[in-house]
Amino acid sequence: MTILIALMVSVVFASATFLMLGRELKGVCMGVFLLGHGANLAILASSTSPIGRVAPVLGGADLSQLVDPLPQALILTAIVIGFAVQAFLLTLLVLTWRRSQTLEVDELAQQGG
Amino acid sequence: MVIAELMYMNPHLITLFIVVPMAAGIGTMFLHRLKPAQRVTGMLFLLVNLGLSIAALMTVYRGAAEHGGILVSQMGNWPAPFGITVVVDVLAAIMLVMTAIVCLGVFIFCVSQLNDQFAGGYFHPLFHFLVLGVQWSFITGDLFNLFVSFEIMLMASYAMFCVGTTRPQMRQAYKYILLNLIGSTIFVTCAGLLYGQLGTLNMADITRIAVSGQIPQSAVPVIAMLLLVFGIKTAIFPLWYWLPDTYHTMPAALGGLFAGLLTKVGAYVMIRVFVMMFGHDQHVVDVLQPIILVSAAVTMFLGVLGAVSMHSVRRILAIHIISQVGYMIMGIGLGMGAMAGMSDADMSIKVMAVTGAIFFIIHNMVVKCCLFLCSGLMLQHAGSDDLDEIGGLLRRTPWLAALFLIAALSLAGLPPLSGFFGKWVLIKASFDSHYYWLVGFAIATSLLTLLSMLKIWSYGFWSSPQGEHVASPSVRPRTTGGIVAIAMLVVVAVSMGLGAQGYMNVSKVAAETAVRPRGYITAVLGEHVLDEPAKPPQAKQHPATFDARLAESNPY
Repeated sequence: MTILIALMVSVVFASATFLMLGRELKGVCMGVFLLGHGANLAILASSTSPIGRVAPVLGGADLSQLVDPLPQALILTAIVIGFAVQAFLLTLLVLTWRRSQTLEVDELAQQGG
Repeated sequence: MVIAELMYMNPHLITLFIVVPMAAGIGTMFLHRLKPAQRVTGMLFLLVNLGLSIAALMTVYRGAAEHGGILVSQMGNWPAPFGITVVVDVLAAIMLVMTAIVCLGVFIFCVSQLNDQFAGGYFHPLFHFLVLGVQWSFITGDLFNLFVSFEIMLMASYAMFCVGTTRPQMRQAYKYILLNLIGSTIFVTCAGLLYGQLGTLNMADITRIAVSGQIPQSAVPVIAMLLLVFGIKTAIFPLWYWLPDTYHTMPAALGGLFAGLLTKVGAYVMIRVFVMMFGHDQHVVDVLQPIILVSAAVTMFLGVLGAVSMHSVRRILAIHIISQVGYMIMGIGLGMGAMAGMSDADMSIKVMAVTGAIFFIIHNMVVKCCLFLCSGLMLQHAGSDDLDEIGGLLRRTPWLAALFLIAALSLAGLPPLSGFFGKWVLIKASFDSHYYWLVGFAIATSLLTLLSMLKIWSYGFWSSPQGEHVASPSVRPRTTGGIVAIAMLVVVAVSMGLGAQGYMNVSKVAAETAVRPRGYITAVLGEHVLDEPAKPPQAKQHPATFDARLAESNPY
């Protein structure tokens, strides 16, 4: 399980890097979003496997059988923050498109802006 | 005085450092059609903030001698490693005071010099949210909240940078945003991996693990990756390339705010993480200390060479930030590696290095911000900030010239002014730790700093009158508010030079907290933790320990 997630993380990170190396802003931004998902998966992978454990609700099962809730709390927070950042970046992309009619880095540079 | 007493009685009051700027941000957002009301509210909240931070510093500094003097608040009363912890020690408190002063100066400057429509009319809320992020990252007690506060701070800075700006700014904004986003993503990955390795993210708990020598070697690469994250934020070599391109495109007032706060937050966090938390682990120190020291030397020297070659005031100042960061991380690098069995002499060298770094950070916050604000007024007077196109500002605005000269000489480090004492302590510390090559770099950098500052002075102020508005006395921008703001910051800067001993004493107590973290650990985790027998490393079974510890401290 852990190895599988680790492989997934590496694939996601690799694709994100590939996207970010492009010369087109939309792709670069998508790469950054994907990188965030890779990070979340990495946190999940570094916490222990939930197989055979129960939900972390106090008063129910034996304490030693509970899943460690903290990594999931971290991921949840990271997702929420990621949302805000994605919304911001997408807005910026739309604004750039409206002003310059292009999202190619080279053409933007040529326009002097 | 009264607040200081109250704060000692009820340490939960330190959450006000988060609540006050948040209230100011939300309040001014609703008032965004009423500019005067926004200004009054903002000013009021910033003054409250200043009062609170001075009270906090008095409390922790006076308390440091008697009872550890660290104010801790556990959110929701969850005991330390499980809940969210907010901590104010002397290190955080001195940063809070300096932040409050810098913010007040920049605020006065912005209100009097920027037009109302700046940042789409949302300048005020963004300003307060930026302050919120900065203050939160000073007082947070765990790594994940540090990430969250960084995000708040950066989000406010992105918005200030982008909303209602021109095209070249927008293009630079992409560079700034994307790089910081990648940095943040690496940070959150590191936090997750560290939790997997150590089973905790609480700073005091990690410090406890490091002091007892239980950090598994497999965690060292993750910690080294943290250097990458904070290196991007602080702009150290070789991760600095984004800074000179971005800072000179924004309005000078904003440049002052960013230069005064953002990179310094990075330097502060590096003290927390690499001196206080991981600086006590031999493996980490072996790997990171050489990297940090070499990077410090290259950062300061290449930065100042860049500044000497530039010909526009804001570009010179922007690239100078990098050079100054070199001094800060020089102190951090020298201060790493305080181990339990060390002799008192070695220990005091470590404390001296970190003292120098802290003093240098607070000196730089004020002085750098001041210089950026000066460059803004120069721009208004001369219509340009290219040194080839301007001149004669001395006769035009003698006050501005005088204030600039004091700030510039202070940055270069001429003896009665503050920069000298910071550099003196740092150079002495590196001399005592036998890093003679570092001493050479530091002194050479200092000389070149003087050269580049005198370049601005002689081309901009002293030469024959030149520039769009300088020759025609009919056009006279209103700069009184700006001058007042700069004068306030210069007074603080001068007090740091003439009263250096006082500031140095506070910095020294702050450095002690980081180099000898016993007080910090017991203040956050309780007295008993350090007396427990050393446990074997528990890299892989942390959920078991987590559950066991949760069961022990079950609040229900």
